[in-house]
Amino acid sequence: MLDTDADQAVRVGGLVKQFGSLTAVDNISFNVKSGEIFGILGPNGAGKTTTLEIIEGLLKPTQGSVSVLGLNVFKEPNRVKARIGVQLQSSAYHDYLKLNEILSLLGSFYPKRVSPENLLEQVGLTDKADSRVNQLSGGQKQRFTVAASLVNDPELVILDEPTTGLDPQARRNLWSLVQEIHQRGVTVVMTTHYMEEAEALCQRLAIMDHGRILTIDTPRNLINKLDAAYTVKLVVANPLTEEQVASFNGSIEVVQAAEGNAYLLRMQNSPKALGTVLEEINRSGISLEHLEVTPVTLEDVFLELTGNELRD
Amino acid sequence: MLTLVISNLKMLARNRQATFWAIFFPLLLVVAFGLFDINGVGTGNLTVVDQDGGLRAKLLLQNLEQVEILDLESPNTEPPNSESEARREIAEKDLDYLIIIPQGFENADAEAGTVTLVYNSRNQQRNQLVDALVRSLVSESQPPERPLALSQLVATEVIEVTEVDYFDEVLMGLIGLGIMTNSIISIAVRVSTFRNQSILKRLLVTPLPIWKYFAGEVLAHLVLAAIQVAIILVVGVFVFGASIHGNVGWIFVIALLGTLVFLNIGFILSAWARSPAAASGLGNAVALPMMFFAGAFFSTATLPWVLPQAARVLPLTPMLEALRDVAIDSAPLWETWPELGALGIWVAVTALVASRVFRFS
Repeated sequence: MLDTDADQAVRVGGLVKQFGSLTAVDNISFNVKSGEIFGILGPNGAGKTTTLEIIEGLLKPTQGSVSVLGLNVFKEPNRVKARIGVQLQSSAYHDYLKLNEILSLLGSFYPKRVSPENLLEQVGLTDKADSRVNQLSGGQKQRFTVAASLVNDPELVILDEPTTGLDPQARRNLWSLVQEIHQRGVTVVMTTHYMEEAEALCQRLAIMDHGRILTIDTPRNLINKLDAAYTVKLVVANPLTEEQVASFNGSIEVVQAAEGNAYLLRMQNSPKALGTVLEEINRSGISLEHLEVTPVTLEDVFLELTGNELRD
Repeated sequence: MLTLVISNLKMLARNRQATFWAIFFPLLLVVAFGLFDINGVGTGNLTVVDQDGGLRAKLLLQNLEQVEILDLESPNTEPPNSESEARREIAEKDLDYLIIIPQGFENADAEAGTVTLVYNSRNQQRNQLVDALVRSLVSESQPPERPLALSQLVATEVIEVTEVDYFDEVLMGLIGLGIMTNSIISIAVRVSTFRNQSILKRLLVTPLPIWKYFAGEVLAHLVLAAIQVAIILVVGVFVFGASIHGNVGWIFVIALLGTLVFLNIGFILSAWARSPAAASGLGNAVALPMMFFAGAFFSTATLPWVLPQAARVLPLTPMLEALRDVAIDSAPLWETWPELGALGIWVAVTALVASRVFRFS
């Protein structure tokens, strides 16, 4: 496929953003294809929000180029803003306006707009049209902010941590909302620091830490690329001795977990390797308290890439 | 743009606490000042120029001294200037009443025995009362055998002056106070709230030109200020009997020009305040001292040291002066050009500072 502007909703090249001596975004490049859900995964402080704010035209980068829907964000900010929808992290809305009033107010700033009734219906808040934002639950509030990002019937929606702070039920509701938006052909760029969210929603994922993009791929490829396919978690009564650690077959990587006598064993070719592990446990009389076999997740990918657990 | 102004007005109307500040707080003061009935009938001071010096004149003086609503004072200057001096004082509103007892009073001389009562047009209620009292006292001191005809007892002279009630002046002070506190605090608190909640940032990601955001805030607050002025005037005039001598439309023009200055100050303070609570505190810290130093309620002439001159550079001062010139001295708008010019400079300077220091996040 030709890599033309029409296929790329967002093109970011060599982007750098410095705040004084702090480099928040350190020379990143990526493209977002039209019609996909593109995720940026990373811990707090990784530079996700700064990257989005540059794409939205809120911040000027120190270096680099950004084109959105084929337009230069810094030269034609208003043409870009008219065609994208933005949900800011932790943005609230006017306390003294009703939901439908906020939506008509925001809509009045755009040449093209969707009616408040239509928007509220899309996010299942029709019966809350006359309520105020502070009367909504956390999940309703987030759905409302998504509705607010759709007032101009945008071609690209940018969501900054849309599910942070939500309970699992509300989070799943929001996922299906994002998928509905996506199914209408809208490109979605979203950030998250939840692995399962990135896995469930994003077609392609950039993993970001300390202002850099470590890798970009589909969630499945990211997992498959990882050498280990399974992880065994052992919790033992007494700490393992060095000999015991060494006695596990060389193809198994052993990592001591942060707390207690817990160990993570990462292995390929798991049926065979698992047998070896169990044999070894029996042979050396390790007293086992808990054993858990889990498939590799993005969490492991992140751990592998950064050497850190995803900081919450 | 219209949607923006209407939305702003809705928010302002629904924010009941702010509305309390905007309208009811100054209104409470209107009621308080009104109830105190600062003018009332009150007592007036009286000077008697006794050209006769007879017994009956002395008796009349004694009786006048008994009148509760009159403070008898001796003339400030010796005859023959005491009469003209007293008339001047009445015209200047330093003296309320002058009674001239003519030579020939003792004998109730039909040609020259008429007592003259002089007062200014200021306190009509009291004037009527004093007029009646003086007539009855003069009548009592007539020789019983051949008194003057009733019509010849007292001649009244009224010196026309503009009626300046203290309450009229206070009412303009209240307009200034209401507009100032509401404009400064409302804008400072709103902007800092919107910034803290990232609402300003949210507006920045829409194609709304930024000047329209400011215009929307300013227009909504101008409407609010006009409503506030209207309410204060209506309550002041119709409930508490204040008089507006000048053109009411010009009062609004001056008030709205002042509103612009205070809105700009609100924008400036919002840049400084880290939280809405801090914005409210800052707003009060700026507005309350200005209320006293600009002479909203009390004359600043009695302030010590350089303070009266310092007070002149505050933006509330020219606003109040222009309001009082129009409302009390019936000055046409263009005669207040020095004050309007000062306000204009304030608008320009505060707008410049606000545009420099304003922050969206």
